[in-house]
Amino acid sequence: METLRNALDFSDFPRFDLLIAGLVAVFMLVFPLFPHSAFAMATMIQFLMFSLYGMGWNTIGGYGGQVDLGKAQYVGIGAYTTAVLLIRWDIPFWFSMPLGMCFAVLWSFIIGYPLFRLKGHYFAIATIATSLVLMDLFQVWDFVGAARGLEISPIKYHPPDWWRLIFKEDIYYYYVILGFFLLGVFYMNWFRKSRLGYQLRSIKDNEDVARSLGINVHWAKIKTYAIATAFVSMVGSFHACYIKNIEPEDTMSLDISILIALMAMLGGAGSLWGPILGAAVLIPLKSYLKEWLGATAGLAGIDLLLYAIIIMAISAIEPRGIWGIVEKIRRRKRR
Amino acid sequence: MTLLEVQHLTKQFGGLNANRDISFTVNKGELVGLIGPNGAGKTTLFNCISGLHPVTAGTILFDGRDITSLKAHEVARMGLARTFQVYVASGDLTVIENVMVGCFMRTRSRARARARAQEILEELNLREVGDSLVSELPVAAQKRVTMATSLGSDPKLLLLDEVAAGLNPSEIEDIMKNIRHIHNDLGITVMLIEHVMELVMKVSDRVMVLDYGRKIADGDPESIARDKNVIKAYLGERFVREHGEALA
Repeated sequence: METLRNALDFSDFPRFDLLIAGLVAVFMLVFPLFPHSAFAMATMIQFLMFSLYGMGWNTIGGYGGQVDLGKAQYVGIGAYTTAVLLIRWDIPFWFSMPLGMCFAVLWSFIIGYPLFRLKGHYFAIATIATSLVLMDLFQVWDFVGAARGLEISPIKYHPPDWWRLIFKEDIYYYYVILGFFLLGVFYMNWFRKSRLGYQLRSIKDNEDVARSLGINVHWAKIKTYAIATAFVSMVGSFHACYIKNIEPEDTMSLDISILIALMAMLGGAGSLWGPILGAAVLIPLKSYLKEWLGATAGLAGIDLLLYAIIIMAISAIEPRGIWGIVEKIRRRKRR
Repeated sequence: MTLLEVQHLTKQFGGLNANRDISFTVNKGELVGLIGPNGAGKTTLFNCISGLHPVTAGTILFDGRDITSLKAHEVARMGLARTFQVYVASGDLTVIENVMVGCFMRTRSRARARARAQEILEELNLREVGDSLVSELPVAAQKRVTMATSLGSDPKLLLLDEVAAGLNPSEIEDIMKNIRHIHNDLGITVMLIEHVMELVMKVSDRVMVLDYGRKIADGDPESIARDKNVIKAYLGERFVREHGEALA
């Protein structure tokens, strides 16, 4: 009961924020009913997906302060589980998604146990390494299509197929991912008020203090890492059905890991709205940049340049991102 | 009744003997002061007892159980809490959230943790600053927050590491009241490291002295103040030689 109340209770935010959040929610619900371009729709779906990735990252990276640059490996595990199961045995999305989450969590325990013996930069580098190794493995593993990847051909099915999540129009995908997104927001609202949420913030503050308050630091990190993983893998499964064509390079590459972490940090690591704000800024920017400049040869890496500028801006101006700036201004006003 | 018993505890860092063959007991309901010059090994001793450092040799018994090889969080859950001398708050947590982390050791419910934290803030006169960030507070209040946080776990034994360091006389007076309240009214056994002598001597039932990692004295505050070894440790051999008659 208290769990549900905590998930639904946003009353610790100022009314103004809730008004904005409500307006945005209404906009998102009715947006597809108005005329829109396919590009805008695709961008909105990307935004929702990356918000969810960011929320997952935010548990361990934001609240727990453990900078994780290997989230893409779990996108891959989710996407490949769903694609392989559908293509080989016609197992529908709603079974393969939880199964993918189980695989991802299992993998997260296997690598999390040793990895969380490391701290700070060493941890971040190790997460990059494990993600790259997994990507390389998938690139030579014939069972999952190796470097060619896998393709889900929609001709075999009869869209709209809710069971297998195969649709012709993007609007269906939009509402499915919006549902996940709203659940994600409620889950994160519960998470930040949970015992684990408080313990993580204490760990981020000072690990020795956390230990002396009865917190099993190593286990708390592993548990949280598993939660983050489950989030990411869930959206990875969705990615497989939505994109229908997955390759190791575009599900598990370092770019994606960095983009996930960067979004959450830009918006505000360790805050409820941070990952959403970050995705709202970065995803449209990235999409439009690609649209404008992508065709021009030689400017393909422009988005990487943009990330670099953002990283520098975050570390120089406010480590807690956009939300950190908002909170700073509010604190100053109150005094 | 013995609550804490340390037997022949030795802690080495490489070639450095931070604690050498230290033995003592703390009885339930006692308030024991731990003093000694800088680098005497007081904080190391606390770190060993609370499980943050593995000991090199010796045994630690708490509440009838051998806790020598337990991890810090296991020791904490048995009811042994501590504060830290240098507390660096990242500015992420407010005062009440800090105290709630302590309370979460005994409950899963946020509502219950919050209510308990509220009570503790009341007891330590921190209620008005509950929603401030710890980093915004003056040092004296920060020290009280560290005490409040460790009280959240409802400990049987509380180890306080220099809670009066850097405070002015009136703040020391206040913190002394807090310590007495924790000890007398809440019935918690306390062991405290302190450099502020008027505080240690006034509140302690018993005082232990460390010097170069060894225990050199253990007794009631008056006898410690007159102990030759203690004066030697603080003021040096020469002082004792020159003022020997006056001291005797």
